[in-house]
Amino acid sequence: MADAPSPSDDHPIISEFADDPEMVELVRLYVSEMPERVRNIWSAWQGGQIESLTRLAHQLKGASAGYGFGQIGEAAARLEASLRALESEGESANDLDPQVRALVDLCERARG
Amino acid sequence: MTPDPLQRDDAPPLVLLIDDSKEVHRLLRARLRNEAVRLIGANGGIEGLKMAREHGPAIVLLDLNMPDVDGFEVLRALKDDPATVNTPVIVLSGLATTQDKVAAFDLGAVDYVTKPFDLTELRARLRSSLKIHELLTMLAQRAQIDGMTGLWNRTFFNSRWAEEVSRSARHDRPLSLAMFDLDDFKSVNDTFGHPAGDAVLQGFASLLAHQCRQSDVVCRFGGEEFTLIMPDTAPDDAKILLDRIRASLEGTRWPRHPERVVTVSIGVVGTSDGAGSVEPSLWLERADANLYRAKEQGRNRVVASDLSAPAPRLAAG
Repeated sequence: MADAPSPSDDHPIISEFADDPEMVELVRLYVSEMPERVRNIWSAWQGGQIESLTRLAHQLKGASAGYGFGQIGEAAARLEASLRALESEGESANDLDPQVRALVDLCERARG
Repeated sequence: MTPDPLQRDDAPPLVLLIDDSKEVHRLLRARLRNEAVRLIGANGGIEGLKMAREHGPAIVLLDLNMPDVDGFEVLRALKDDPATVNTPVIVLSGLATTQDKVAAFDLGAVDYVTKPFDLTELRARLRSSLKIHELLTMLAQRAQIDGMTGLWNRTFFNSRWAEEVSRSARHDRPLSLAMFDLDDFKSVNDTFGHPAGDAVLQGFASLLAHQCRQSDVVCRFGGEEFTLIMPDTAPDDAKILLDRIRASLEGTRWPRHPERVVTVSIGVVGTSDGAGSVEPSLWLERADANLYRAKEQGRNRVVASDLSAPAPRLAAG
């Protein structure tokens, strides 16, 4: 199974709450866990585990904005919606490859 | 006196978060740190239900979308259980169709917050729901409390008394019931005015509350009548407590009328060992009969008897 693609560029995505004393430790922790999240997303995608992938996207959507990564949350929301639409609209999962890659990319660029 | 209706529970309210995302738990813990709440968490619906029943939180934050059990089922279970039915539930959800919102409200949720949530908004909604819950709790309590004295009212007494009689019979435990009637109370009002009369009522209520034990239940029964339920107390011990109360009232100097003493007549009936199956109302009749005898025999005294004895024994007074 291939590793997740490397980030497209070096532009980091800084958390909105990077300077918030209440949040700084939590943001660092969240960012430190990103590599694992990326691995999970990528392996679910490679393994065709749509349900797992949907759950992962859902969780990212739910929490990212709270940690100051609204952009990641929005991308996760779009991916989740697309994944849920797959079944009903009978689209091919492969069409979602760009969205998955985009989300992975954003995640890899996240910084505390 | 139990439980003291004049006392508020000042501990910060308990908030239970039921969500499968550990990131959400961490986030709320950090963001609610400066709010006056204590946060506890469950990672799934089953654990959440268990914690709700065990800890009786003031409010539940419930994620609808969890892997172990459907959030709506958890909401339904919370509302079906008498232990948790009145606990307000705020639903947190990444699913946001109108249908879901309506379903949540129909099942009894008090609010619906979509994820990703704005923390400031969540805090505001949390505060608002907690405030409403506090007011409702106070309202329920106030309905059983006598406004003038802060003691339990007659309605509360009636239901509580039946429970105590039943408990005493079931476990063969001692129990005593006292009825008080302030002596010549009408003349206090007539001579010194109603504010003086009110002061006497409140002063007596306060005296009772202070002299009684944690487990005793003090009630205002009527205008100048009071009742006292003494669980786990045999009539002889009750007599000692009551005579202390009687003497204490007699020794009280009233600021509005220092020259005028106020006394009380007391009738008490009790059992040392669970009185079989004597009706609650029969107890009351006996206590009342003893109160009447106390009045007849000169007032400012305690007349006590054992429930199983046919005639009252005179107590010192």
